[in-house]
This record gives sequence, C-alpha cells and structure tokens, in this order.
Amino acid sequence: MQITAELVCFWIFAIPLVVTALGVVVARSPVYAAMNLVAAFFFMAGLYVLLAAHLIAFMQILVYAGAVMVLFLFVIMLLSLDEEHPQRERRRAMQYVGVLGAVSLLAVLASAIARVPDAAMSTLAQPDRFGTVKAVGQVLYTEFLLPFEVTSLLLLVAIVGAVVVAKERI
Amino acid sequence: MNRLIGMVVLIGAVVAGLVGLSAAFYLAAGGLAWVFAEYLGAPPSFGAAIANVVTLMLVVMMISGSLLTVAERKWSAMMQNRIGANRIKVLGSALGGIPFLAADALKMLTKESAPPRGRTRVLYEMAPALAFAPVFALFAIIPLGPPIPLGAIVDSAAGALGSAGVALQVASPDAGLLYIFAISSLAVYGTSLAGWASNNKLALLGGVRASSQMISYEVSLGLSLVGTMLAYRTLRLEEMVTAQGLAVLGPVPALGILLQPVGFLIFFASAFAETKRAPFDLPEGESEIVGYFVEYSGMKFGLMFLAEFVEIVVLSAIITAVFLGGWHPIVVSTEWLRQTVTPLWFGAICGGAFLAKMIVLMWLQLTIRWLLPRFRFDQIQKLCWKILLPAAIANIFITAGALLLDPSMQLLAWIGVATIVIIGAITAAVGRAPAPGEHDHAAAHAVAGH
Repeated sequence: MQITAELVCFWIFAIPLVVTALGVVVARSPVYAAMNLVAAFFFMAGLYVLLAAHLIAFMQILVYAGAVMVLFLFVIMLLSLDEEHPQRERRRAMQYVGVLGAVSLLAVLASAIARVPDAAMSTLAQPDRFGTVKAVGQVLYTEFLLPFEVTSLLLLVAIVGAVVVAKERI
Repeated sequence: MNRLIGMVVLIGAVVAGLVGLSAAFYLAAGGLAWVFAEYLGAPPSFGAAIANVVTLMLVVMMISGSLLTVAERKWSAMMQNRIGANRIKVLGSALGGIPFLAADALKMLTKESAPPRGRTRVLYEMAPALAFAPVFALFAIIPLGPPIPLGAIVDSAAGALGSAGVALQVASPDAGLLYIFAISSLAVYGTSLAGWASNNKLALLGGVRASSQMISYEVSLGLSLVGTMLAYRTLRLEEMVTAQGLAVLGPVPALGILLQPVGFLIFFASAFAETKRAPFDLPEGESEIVGYFVEYSGMKFGLMFLAEFVEIVVLSAIITAVFLGGWHPIVVSTEWLRQTVTPLWFGAICGGAFLAKMIVLMWLQLTIRWLLPRFRFDQIQKLCWKILLPAAIANIFITAGALLLDPSMQLLAWIGVATIVIIGAITAAVGRAPAPGEHDHAAAHAVAGH
C-alpha cells in the first residue's frame, strides 16, 4: 500500500478519534467524558474534510462541538455530577445488553465494509461541486425540502416544550 | 501646524511601511511557492500556504497582537490624560513604550507558576491552550492580499507555473465564513474550563458568565453575516472581497458597510462581546470577581491575555474583509491601480490597504473599550436576545427581499444608504439627552432602596 499524504492525514485524525471515543466511555468524570466527546467530534470533522465534505465538517464542529457540547458541559459543571459515582453492581444486566449491542453493531459494520469492493475505495470519482455549500443547499432545498421543513418544525416543538417545562420556575 | 505636518508624515510612513511589509510577504510566498514547485513538484499553492502561515499568522497576527498590549496602555493613558508606560528606556529613550513588549514577555515567562490546590489537573493545564488555539486558527482564511501571478514575483517561473496565482491567504475552504463560526465557537471551552478547573468560586462565576455570554452572542454573530452572504452570493471571504470592488450606485463600490449597515453594527457588537472586553467584560470584571483566569499565573495567564488581543486582530481582519472592502484601496480605483503598477506592487499596495484598515479598526476597538463603562449582566443578555437577535433576523428578511426584487444590489444599496442616514439622525438626536425610560428606571431603583 502506497503511503500518500491523504493516508497520513487519515491516521492523524482516525487514531485520536478512536482514543477519544473510548475516552468518552471509559472516563469516570463526566467533564472528562464531555471533553473527550468534543475532541472526538473535532477529529471526526477532520475525516469529513478528507472526504471533501467541508460543509459537513464545519457544521459538525459548529453545531455539535461548539453548541451542543457547550450546553452539556455547562450543565455538568453547574450540577457538579462528579461527586456521585454510579454504583456498579446494579448495572450488571445493562452491561450485558450493552456488550451484546456493541458486538452486533460491530458485526453489521464489518460485514458492510467487507462488501465494499476494493475498486470503489481507490477511484473516488467526484463531481466538481461535491460537498460545497451550493451543492448541499440545492439538494436540501429541492429534493429534501419536506424532511428539512419537518425537522425545523420538530425543533420548534422542542423549543416550545422547553419553555413550557421551564415556565413554572420563571 | 507643525503637529499636523508631523502626523501626516507619520501616517504616510506607516502606510509606506505596511506596503513594504506586504511586498515582503508576497516575495516570501512567491519564493517558497517557486522553491516547492521547482524542487518538490508540489503545486504552487502549497509553498505559498506555508510561507503565509509564517508571515501572516506568526508575524502579522502575533506581532500586532502583542503590540496591542503596549498600544492599549499608551492609548488608555492618552485618553485619561496620563503619560503611560515609559519607565523602560533604551539608550535614554522610551521608544513609545515598545520595550515593554519584551519586558512583559520576560516577566510572564519567568514568573512563578502558583497552581491552586484542588484543581482538576489536566483541564487546568489545558485551558489556556484551548482559549488561545481557536482564536489563533481563525486568521487562516483571512485574504490579506489579492492573487497575483507567480511569474510576477519570481522571474524564473514561466508557463503554467508563472501564471499560477499567489495570494496572501493561508487557506480558502469552500465554506469560508462557516469556518470562522465553527472555530470561534470552540473558544468558549478555554474560558469555561479555566473557570471550572481552578477550584475557585470566583473563577467559576467568571467562567459561567463567559460561557453564557459567548453562547448568546454566537447566535447573533452568525445571523449578522447571513445578509452579506446573500448579497455577495458566496461564503468565501476572497470572493466577498472581490465582489466589494464592483461598482454600485454609480462609482461607489459595493462595500459591505454600505449594503449591510445593520449587519455591520450587529456583527461588531457581537464580536466585541466575544472578545470579552469592556463594555462586555463581565467574565473578568476586575472590580468584582477578577475573572475566570484568577488562579492562573505566569505564561498561562499570559496566553489567555494574549488570546484576547489576538482576537481583536482577527476581529478587525474579518470586519475589514467582509464590510470594509478588504484589500481594495478605496481611495483609488482598484482597476486603475491594476493597470498602472506592476503586479507585485499592485499586490503590495492592496495588502497595505488591508493592514491599514485593520489598524484603524483595532484603534476603534481600543477606544470603545476605554470609553464605555461595563454593562450589567441582565443588560448584556437583553441586548443580545431582545435587540441584536431580532434586528439580525429582520436584516436577513429585508436583505433577501431586496435581493429578490433587484438582484443587481442597487435597491439593497439604497436601503443601506437610507439606514445609515436614519441611524446617524437617531444618534445625533439622542446624543447627550438621557434615553427615554432611563429616568423611570432610576426612580424605580430609588424606591426599591438601592
């Protein structure tokens, strides 16, 4: 296998991605878990850049790392969840189910990857405008207009719901 | 009169220096591009990007960021009728306080690090880097100068290589402005983690204030630039700058500030809030909570301090590129300049224009920081959610409507002119009189026993 700059960049992003993703699960302190998740999102965005999907990459950082996780971290910090460690024994049954789920997910992914022909990996025929803001926007607002609008409605419902839930305290 | 002549000469010298500096940047970018293309077979943009990282990010941004620390002292002293930093003398002259740059750096580096007990070790050490790195990376997509052919810089580059463009810009991703929003949204981790990891209530308070403020203003920051994206039909900064050179309303160029005065004001206010400086300096309010970095000493504090000043530089650069016409030297026509001088000098003059606009904006930010008192916290949140955000959304709708009716931007420009006139009239009318409601507010406070 020939070593290209793309391959080197792939490993630069992929190895920390796996390490930080493991860190999310392994870390005892919720703050460390959250920070690992932020780092994982960041490295994931690097992989998107390698796939020429710049818009998705920046959106990943902007929405997940920059907005969602900040709020997570905010809540974790203010509630200072670290002091209470979850008790291990009670979660036995959940752990077995979790392991089963992880193994089956791994099996599905592995079989899907194995079915991809080698030729598809090497010849990346992309149209010129692949992954640009214009291309994504055009598809989003023509072909997928209904799902897009439904999603925005869903978010609106969530906002209204949050206000209703919090209103009694205000 | 002598003073006036002196100032004109000084400004002329500064502008000439900036033009020379950008000529040197072009030479460095072109030279390295040619070396990489000739000896390694890499595309010319590769070498130019490496040279630009060194010249633009390390030289321009870091040096102007650290010069700002001195400039702020001198300028605040001038505004408060003091003398300012002049105690370090090199050969009997204070040199305008510039030796303080070295003194500050030396002090920060040699100071004892006094980490607090009970800190969260890794996050405490990481926070200054997390605060600094995103701000530093932002400068990568700023187009400081126009692309000029490589053949105009390096004589021996010929053919296809010679006509390849070299610009003073490190990277140009397709999603241009989104890169700015994405990376600047990461800056909040540095401050909030610094506050949390220090095991100090005041620091935590500062961190919480910083993160709530930054999260809020990020929303209006993002929405304020949508209008310019619509008007110039691109997200790339260099294409925005090019579009701003086109004439609209006769000979007047389509500057962002003309088409989007409201967007400019909202962006400036929101970005100012993101830098966490007065009047938005609640996260570090020295007189009440000291701030999220209260437990940091030595260079760790220095890094957070520097991040603030680098953010000013980046903010000025973004405003210059999006709203003030970027590298177009507004005083002379860009097309005329392109035809009269050699490509290298054309690039250098344009780069110098960009730097000059940046300096004016940095000066403006220092002035605002020393003119205005601190907001109250509820005022900060009110300003964001009740004034800036609705204004930004209204701006998007009006811009989109105007562009739908008239894609040539004429209508938008007229709306912009009208808005500028109205804003100017309101500012002049309100001027020194107390704002309506302010009186009632004070009375309410008096009743409540404050």
